[in-house]
Order: sequence, then structure tokens, then C-alpha cells
Amino acid sequence: MHIPDGYLSPQTYAPLWGVSLLFWSVALRKMKKELSTKQIPYLAMAAAFSFLIQMFNIPIPGGTTGHAVGAGIIAILLGPWTAVIAVSVVLIIQSVVFGDGGITAIGANCFNMAVAIPFVSYWVFKLINRKSIKGARVYVAAFFAGHIGLSTGAIVTAMELGIQPLIARGADGRSLYAPYPLSIAVPVMALEHFLLFSIIEGMVTFLLLKYFLKYESDQIYAISVKEA
Amino acid sequence: MKSNIPSFLLSKPQQHETGASGEASRTSFIDHGIERFAAFIRTTYTQWETADRDGLFQRLDARIKVLFLLFFIVIVSVKKTLMPEAAIGVFIFILAVLSRLSLIAFYGRVFFFGFIFGFLIALPSCLNIITKGEVVIPIVHLSKAYRFWIYQIPETIGITRQGIEGVAQLTLRVINSLSLSFLIIYTTRFSEIVRALKGLRVPDTFLMIITLSYKYIFIFAKIIEDIHLAKKSRIVEVDAAETRVWVAGRMASLLRKTRSRCEEVFNAMLARGFSGDVVLYTHGKMGTKDFMAGSLLFIAGLLFIIL
Repeated sequence: MHIPDGYLSPQTYAPLWGVSLLFWSVALRKMKKELSTKQIPYLAMAAAFSFLIQMFNIPIPGGTTGHAVGAGIIAILLGPWTAVIAVSVVLIIQSVVFGDGGITAIGANCFNMAVAIPFVSYWVFKLINRKSIKGARVYVAAFFAGHIGLSTGAIVTAMELGIQPLIARGADGRSLYAPYPLSIAVPVMALEHFLLFSIIEGMVTFLLLKYFLKYESDQIYAISVKEA
Repeated sequence: MKSNIPSFLLSKPQQHETGASGEASRTSFIDHGIERFAAFIRTTYTQWETADRDGLFQRLDARIKVLFLLFFIVIVSVKKTLMPEAAIGVFIFILAVLSRLSLIAFYGRVFFFGFIFGFLIALPSCLNIITKGEVVIPIVHLSKAYRFWIYQIPETIGITRQGIEGVAQLTLRVINSLSLSFLIIYTTRFSEIVRALKGLRVPDTFLMIITLSYKYIFIFAKIIEDIHLAKKSRIVEVDAAETRVWVAGRMASLLRKTRSRCEEVFNAMLARGFSGDVVLYTHGKMGTKDFMAGSLLFIAGLLFIIL
């Protein structure tokens, strides 16, 4: 889901940089207000956790393994605005140090994975779970929060890629950036995520939340914090 | 060029199959975890080593390099024909040589990612099903053209000239962008890049979070490796369902560890006089050679824009 450099036209990556900058400034302001001077090591810790969660491989049915993105569970455990900063920092480090995701595409990648996934996951969890902390409802909420969150991120990514042939064409009619139109990019990304990657994400979200509910239920932001 | 990287970091980890034949390795998730950690350390160690060499880019001020990266990566992204992209590729190659980088390691990594993200992903788009145009290599002839909802399959499926040009353009663009990013990261320490970003008015708070997380990642990556090795040394056979619960437990324990480390770090910051205001030290003044190199790179960039 990390978009590399070269796939997005300037008319796509520049506005998405702007949108991400807006979310980062609001998130930093909110963090400062809620967490006082402790926010810096706390956010750095959340970012490191977000990076490291991807280092755990999980056996999935069929004999293969996969790893989660972790943006959904971080939003549930630490709050969506904390997740915005934490996942963004990870994406920036991944892009600059490891070449995983483009530098021009940092804005787009952060919007897709650090904004869309945490907020969708958080609100799906709140919507399904309501106030329950026991029973099947909370686990169903966790699974769908992870699943729908990641699927939404994938579809938003596919839309950004899919509009390239419409907005940036050469004189000979060929696409100058991502070559696949919406009719291909969206179904492909949606299907592979719905049927595979989002299931892994949902499973990780469910298992991790189950563990926290059993041992540290007071540490779960989505359950302990009441929305204004 | 002789590498100072320890041999144990360069050797590939051995796979230890524990399951019966015909079954997928039941400890593969552990091996994958260890491999992922080893690759992470190997990559960053290589970067630290090459950043300390005595080459052209290593001697430049980090602010010049970051501005060069941003300027050139935008130029690469706006070029619409093959020739300027190829010329930029040659220019980056010359800079890599002058920076005394190991070209095999450098381009090995660039071409590996470029092949996957540039060539392989874009390859099907050279067919006339996706990129319309003049078919130069026909592949399949059907009895008639088909139309299904918004999808069209022409009578002759083949590779188009426009499609080939599109794939070549995208591959070159991805390779050039990766080369630029790796040129900077292979010649500049991460801490220097962060300090250079301060010069570009990125807020100190954000830079401090990036710096701290980068350090935390190394501390906790080692803990993860220990967790995996401890598990690997104790097991003969693993039940997949149990393993999933085990992995979730380790993730939760990691979050607990990061939280407690966060408390310790904050207390250490307070003990050293942290008052809540984040201030990062910036670089000193740039020298004449930095200005000259910066000007030359800027002029080169302008030439590539005109090209």
C-alpha cells in the first residue's frame, strides 16, 4: 500500500501533502493539549510501536504468514490523533531510510494509512462496540475495525492511483503516471485486501484487543475515553 | 572496496525445518521475524558505514543534500519523456561514483526495488487492454472483440508502442527517485538529515518525535529478535492458533515495555532540565564549497528542467 515515487502526478501528490500537513498540525496541537509535556516521548513510543508491530509475522490459514499495518489497533489503544502522528512518523522513516514509499508520495501515504485507516477503524469500533467491554460484541467490533479500516485505506489508495490516467496523459494518449484506470485499480486493491490483507489486520486487531481486555482494560483509549 | 560490515550480518540466515515433509515450516513465522530484523539492521548498518566515507556527497552540508533531494525528486516527477529521465539517471550515477559508494550494493538495492515497483507492477499495462495504441507485438487473436460492462477486450491482444514507452518511463522514474533517496541516505547520517530538516522549518517537536522513535526502534527491534530467538530455542512444533495468541501477547508486552521506557525517558529528560520546550541544535554556517556545490547542483537541476 506504500505508493512509490513516480506513480502520482504533481497535481495529486501536492494537494495530499497539504491535507496531511493539516492533519499533522491539528494532531500535534491536540496531543499537546491532552498530554502536556509528556507528549514527545509518548508519541515517539507510539511511533516505534507502530513500526515494530510490523516485525511480527503471524501464521495464517493456508500455511503462509503475514504482518499487520497496525494503524487500526493503535487508534483503538492510543486514540486516532495519536495514531495520525505515530503512523506518519513511521511512514516518513520508512520512506527516507528504507525507500519504502516515495518522498513525493509521503503526503498521500500518510493520508491513506495514517489518517484514513486510524479514523475509520476507530469509528467502526465505536459504532459496533458501543460501550461493551465483554462478550462477542467487542471482539466483532475489533475485527471489523481492523478489516474495514485497512480496506478503506486500500480503496483510497486505489482511487488516487486510478485517477492518474484521467488527469495526466501524454500527447499520444498514454498515462504519464500510474497506468491502471479506476476500473482496474479499485477492484484489484479492494478484492486482495477484503479477502486477504484486511483479514490479517482484523485478526491482529482482535487478538491484541483480547489480550488488553484481559490484562489491561483500563489502557484502551477507545473504551476508556468518552467522546465530547 | 572492502566492506567493514561484519560477516554475520551479510550471511543469509539458515532455515530450520521442523515440521514433517510436505508441511510448511511450522516455525517459519519465527524465521521471518528474525530475517526481517536482520535485514533492518543490515540496511541501516550499511548506510551508517557509507555515510562515513570520504566522498563528494559525504563532505557536503546536509542542508544542501536535502534541498538537492527535494529539488531533483520533483524534477524527476515532472519529466514526461524518456531522454531527460535517462540523462538524470546518468547524472546520479556520476554522483554515486564521486561519493565512493559501492555501486554493486547501491544499484543492487535500487534495481531490486525499481524492478518490483517500477517494472513488474507496470508490465501488464503495456497490453492494449489497458494502454490503447499501435500494437507492435500481437500475442493472442480472438474470434471477435468482447465487451463486458466497462471492460473491453479487443480482437487482437498485444503489446502497444505507447504501453512499452509508459512502462519504460515509469520504471526509469521509479529508479531515478530511489537512486536519489538512497544517494542521500547512503551519504548522510540520519541525525544530520533531521538537523537539516530543521533548517527547512520543520517543527522541532515533530523532528524530536522522529529522532526518538528512530532510536526506540533500534532498542525494541533487539528485544523482538530476543523474543523470537527465545521462542525458537524452546519449540519443536507449533500450533498455528496458539502461535497467533502468542504473537498477540508479545505485541501487547512490547507496548507495555515501550510505555515503561517512555516513562523512564521522560524522567531522564526532566532530570537533565527539560522544561517542555523542544529545541534542536541546527548546523553551523555553510562553507564556500557547500555554496559552490549547491549552486552547481541547482544549475544542473535547471538544465534538466529545460531538457
